[in-house]
Amino acid sequence: MLNASTLALALANLNGSRQQSGDNLVCHARDGSILAGSCLYVGLPPEKPFNISCWSKNMKDLTCRWTPGAHGETFLHTNYSLKYKLRWYGQDNTCEEYHTVGPHSCHIPKDLALFTPYEIWVEATNRLGSARSDVLTLDILDVVTTDPPPDVHVSRVGGLEDQLSVRWVSPPALKDFLFQAKYQIRYRVEDSVDWKVVDDVSNQTSCRLAGLKPGTVYFVQVRCNPFGIYGSKKAGIWSEWSHPTAASTPRSERPGPGGGACEPRGSEPSSGPVRRELKQFLGWLKKHAYCSNLSFRLYDQWRAWMQKSHKTRNQHRTRGSCPRAEGARREVLPDKL
Amino acid sequence: MSRREGSLEDPQADSSVSPLLHLEAKIQQTHSLARLLTKYAEQLLQEYVQHQGDPFGLPGFSPPRPPVAGLSAPAPGHAGLPVPERLRLDAAALAVLPPLLDVVRRRQAELNPRAARLLRRLEDSARQARALGAAVEAVLGALGAETGGPRPEPAAAAAAIAAAATGGVFPAKVLGLRVCSLYLEWVSRTEADLGQLAPGGPA
Repeated sequence: MLNASTLALALANLNGSRQQSGDNLVCHARDGSILAGSCLYVGLPPEKPFNISCWSKNMKDLTCRWTPGAHGETFLHTNYSLKYKLRWYGQDNTCEEYHTVGPHSCHIPKDLALFTPYEIWVEATNRLGSARSDVLTLDILDVVTTDPPPDVHVSRVGGLEDQLSVRWVSPPALKDFLFQAKYQIRYRVEDSVDWKVVDDVSNQTSCRLAGLKPGTVYFVQVRCNPFGIYGSKKAGIWSEWSHPTAASTPRSERPGPGGGACEPRGSEPSSGPVRRELKQFLGWLKKHAYCSNLSFRLYDQWRAWMQKSHKTRNQHRTRGSCPRAEGARREVLPDKL
Repeated sequence: MSRREGSLEDPQADSSVSPLLHLEAKIQQTHSLARLLTKYAEQLLQEYVQHQGDPFGLPGFSPPRPPVAGLSAPAPGHAGLPVPERLRLDAAALAVLPPLLDVVRRRQAELNPRAARLLRRLEDSARQARALGAAVEAVLGALGAETGGPRPEPAAAAAAIAAAATGGVFPAKVLGLRVCSLYLEWVSRTEADLGQLAPGGPA
């Protein structure tokens, strides 16, 4: 309650405004009627935005996002403006397309130069002040990403119950540019949320997943990292994952292994030593039996035949164009393998 | 006398149907529209109050009722007038409301820029008021009643309120509340007046 001669009032310990239009300060007469009112905006000046990250899709544009200082809670309308300029010359430019990948993001669609660094920063302003982020310097070529690999196909490998073949196409948007490509594959069982990742696919456009569970539906995704564009030394930026592609392994009577091959992380160890020993054996055979056509392929074909005929693992049958393979196996193997 | 059909279908397209049935259908349609818009106007008022902050919306909040140029609340004697006269007054008010609602929307876009639903409701209300006003005039035309004498120009009323709305934030909030309240009063008044003419009504 104020007396009639009060001309000023101090309000302390106010909480931040609860609505954008400000808090209402209302003066009532003794009978409760409203004599006058005003609006207060109670808040904080912005803190320095930070953690700016940017990427360019196929070298055609630049998208940046940042984290507002103090987690953005100023209780006041705060305007964030992404600014950029060529480092060595040029005027400041202001990004115009905001909120493209979240509330604190901006998209620059065109007119970007390559082979020259940009300086990028964010300015935050509200009624109580302003703040500016640190400047990020980058070359567009060092932050290139691309679309996920298209046309991802997953198929069975003959009758092999623990393998699936994955094929994809190199991103077409970069087909005219010289770059190296890294790919990653991830896969999971249909009713699981745990992905297994294969990350040393290098620049192949196919991979065979092995050591899978028979009779199981798998979802597979692929992504691409186009690094080394025009000689850039930076690591590159991974694309989004491709849409999941599903395929199922054939059913089997025998309990299959649970892990993966094609060098996935977290694969079961039981498949590792067997294949390592086999690899060593094949290497020895090639060296000593003068047969260049022995390979995992023959081994897989043999396994397929085994599953078809339901015979024991000790039956042997040779195929392919390597007539000396059978004779070579009859040799006494050295101790060292 | 101009005949504006608003957003209703024209039952007179089929000339084999009695003109009386056409009129009855038109009245019924317009009455249904007014009933729907009354509900929307209530929602608009609730949404508006919610975004202005306390004490707006609190029980006992009795803000000043600033005059709105070119528009006043339905008079106490409105319900005692003949139905055509009531509908003329309804149509006149509905013609003034759209630009006023636009002014309120523009001011709220500055004060509450993230209140997307409120802004959308204000925009829709301006369009709906215009449609209902045109439909009421079509009913008046079908009744053979004059739409009335000279009315204040809606643009002039809007300019006056726009000037008032550019003042302080609190007065702008109060003025917007007044416009939204007047919109609800006139739309529900129109619903009641059309109900007098609709089949099953006292008329």
